[in-house]
Amino acid sequence: MGNASSNFKLITAARLIDGTGSPPLERGAVLVEGDTIRAVGTEETVIPPEGASVERLDYKGTVLPGLVDCHVHLIGIGDGRPGDDLNKLPDEVLTLQAASNARTHLYSGVTTVRDCGAKHRTTFMLRRAVEMGITPAPRLVLAGRPVAIVGGHLSYFGVEATGEVECRAAVRQLIKEGADFIKITATGGTTQTSFPLRPSFTVQEMTAACDEAHKFGKHACAHCVSSQGIVNALDAGIDTIFHARFNEPDGSVRFQPEIADRIARQGVFVNPTLHVKRARIWAFEQQIESGPLDEDEQSAYDELRREYDSNLVCFQGLRDAGVTMVSGSDSAWGNYTMGGFPHEIEANVEAGMTPLDAVVSATGDSAKSCAIHREVGTLEPGKKADILVVDGDPSQDINALWNVADVFQNGALVDRRDFV
Amino acid sequence: MATKADAFTLVKAGRLIDANGGPPIDRGAVLIRDGKIARVGAQNDVAAPEGAAVETYDYPQMTLMPGMVDAHTHHNGFGDGRRGDDLVKLPDEVLTLQSARNARMSLFTGVTTIRENGPKNETSLRLRDAINQGITVGPRMVLNGRAVAIIGGHMSYFGIESTGPVEARAHVRQLIKEGADYIKITATGGSTKTSFPLLPSFNVDELMAITDEAHKFGKLTATHCTSTQGIVNSLDAGVDMIIHCIFKEPDGSENFRQDLAERLGEQGTFVNPTLHVSRSGIWALERKKAERGLTPAEQVSLDEGYRDFDVRLEDSRRMIEMGLKVITGSDSSWSDYPLGNTPYETECLAMAGYSPMQALQSVTRNSAASIGMDDRVGTLEPGKEADLIVVDGNPAEDVNALWNIAEVFFAGKKVDRGSDQSVAGIRQRPPGG
Repeated sequence: MGNASSNFKLITAARLIDGTGSPPLERGAVLVEGDTIRAVGTEETVIPPEGASVERLDYKGTVLPGLVDCHVHLIGIGDGRPGDDLNKLPDEVLTLQAASNARTHLYSGVTTVRDCGAKHRTTFMLRRAVEMGITPAPRLVLAGRPVAIVGGHLSYFGVEATGEVECRAAVRQLIKEGADFIKITATGGTTQTSFPLRPSFTVQEMTAACDEAHKFGKHACAHCVSSQGIVNALDAGIDTIFHARFNEPDGSVRFQPEIADRIARQGVFVNPTLHVKRARIWAFEQQIESGPLDEDEQSAYDELRREYDSNLVCFQGLRDAGVTMVSGSDSAWGNYTMGGFPHEIEANVEAGMTPLDAVVSATGDSAKSCAIHREVGTLEPGKKADILVVDGDPSQDINALWNVADVFQNGALVDRRDFV
Repeated sequence: MATKADAFTLVKAGRLIDANGGPPIDRGAVLIRDGKIARVGAQNDVAAPEGAAVETYDYPQMTLMPGMVDAHTHHNGFGDGRRGDDLVKLPDEVLTLQSARNARMSLFTGVTTIRENGPKNETSLRLRDAINQGITVGPRMVLNGRAVAIIGGHMSYFGIESTGPVEARAHVRQLIKEGADYIKITATGGSTKTSFPLLPSFNVDELMAITDEAHKFGKLTATHCTSTQGIVNSLDAGVDMIIHCIFKEPDGSENFRQDLAERLGEQGTFVNPTLHVSRSGIWALERKKAERGLTPAEQVSLDEGYRDFDVRLEDSRRMIEMGLKVITGSDSSWSDYPLGNTPYETECLAMAGYSPMQALQSVTRNSAASIGMDDRVGTLEPGKEADLIVVDGNPAEDVNALWNIAEVFFAGKKVDRGSDQSVAGIRQRPPGG
């Protein structure tokens, strides 16, 4: 029988990591029917139905879930230009950049992305084109535009809301356009007119935004690069906190265990975005190779290194408090180009995770943070067959994630050399 | 020290066609420097200066020729039969993404220069920006911005409706300000629902204002003409290219006008017959017929399609015999003709009487001349852009060899076209093919 229901693939590999946190299985096997995983286990336990036509694919490396990058900016270029400048590009150009990034990320093994802020309707338009078959992309979980205060971080992307009513209206508008979740900038950031060390929205405003999102079954995420923003977001009932920097208004860093405990108690995910900072450090170090930094650059470089070290300390504190840390690259923001998600996952290992935990943070747990875990994120029967195969063993060496052998999306092998 | 400027690329092949019309050169080579052609000739005569760094490519079994120049494209389109009236409903961002896909299909199939004939709003201008910024790849683009149309005229939905010589001049200035390289005018109606394909659209004074304003800034003009009076008006206005060039009277009857053909010759006007876009419509109906049969209305449409195509092929044959400047412009992805399939149009011109070498020139040297790009592309000559294609077979003997593109060089750089399978998928097959 040649119909779609008898379209089986049996993927076997030296080992299997299912993304739930279970230890790797030797001689792992995944049985895929159409776009869905039917069975997961070892070669001995996973047996295709009798008489079915089965395509067999055997790999010497590791089979694992397709990666879930819970924090991307598809319109970004990753060449260090500030968001204020990026935003000046026309929507059509940004949409083309988003398509290019989406393709690059998919071909690098990322089968789901959560886009955390784009200009106007660019990412919604990308999704429409993907649905029309114009361009390939990972599964897209989209915010559309972030919800920002007047002049707040990412306000240039198109939403400036003041007061609970406008916050609710902004959320409704985004959902109408196709938003899968709501991104709120709870503190300032790199946006020139914003104040990174200060909160932006009042608790009442953020509560309204979260409540409106939850009412429609959408989750809410907050950008927080200072402590009061984290507290406000927790008060508002946020679901994921990005960055989670423990900065005080005076710029000092003070990790607060009681806040970490609250994050853990409320079951809020934290996406620490370590590498986006390290990418800037690396960019400076590359510059140093061709000549010394000027005074301003040197102090920026020193500051970045101090911040990165303190980020690692806070990371450990959050983990110790029992917070679920999820991997999201934040690329292509700043200097972090897309297609390099393993950098962030590796940074989590540097910060103290075991390689296996880091894989979970970039698959099963990040899928939970994106509220897409019923569909993807783990190799389990009933899930969509978004599957990554790499050479080597990422549970021993996380950098094995760079060695992509094959990517499957909805059960179909992705032609990673299709540039049309 | 070898600086970038000192680096040469040498491309050798068993056969070289420079597209100037002479016989192919056996064992030919092109030397490239800084993205431009430095030398062309037999391999013995073409070498980099002694001691210079040279990257060499060798295709001993293949033909090296200029990249193709398609003088008539619609990068917004899908080539899946949808009407322009429906296409235009898609948002600009989606049309820009589709344009980018089409641009890759053009480039990967050996078309290294295109002239765009009617996209929506600023989509093609923005695509070119993105290509220039390295966000995506595509051929060199000669752009019109948007077509200039009368109210309700053909392609008026793409963004310009002009009335009177003054407004028409203003629209030309606006397009040039936005970056248009030439001006496309719809001189008759067309497939646009609110337009009249058998009747002229602009009056001659309006057409003259448009061409005068364009020529003032050194820009060429081209008119869409699906009926005879549009051709007459365009000739009166001094238009540089007639597109479609269909000799139909207001009552729909066909009447090839020898006098107008002679005027086309006297005025040196280029003619872009767009034959395959008609044949692709025939193919689509034939496919439908084989799959599920045709409704009576579809059968009538198919019969008309056959008749129209025969007449247009015959008209093209006459114009080719008269030595008119008939060139390849595919009109894809309009109607049922997807981009990446330019050789079909060239094949049609061969069916209309061109020798294989003339057909090849119609899609290189002569199409480049028709869009004012012959100083930069279209032939293999020193000083031109190093846009080259490597063809498996001999297109000087069989025009269908143009399907077998083995390699594409753009501005002297080998284009990474990706997997063979993905590139092969671009070709639209004839019914049953």
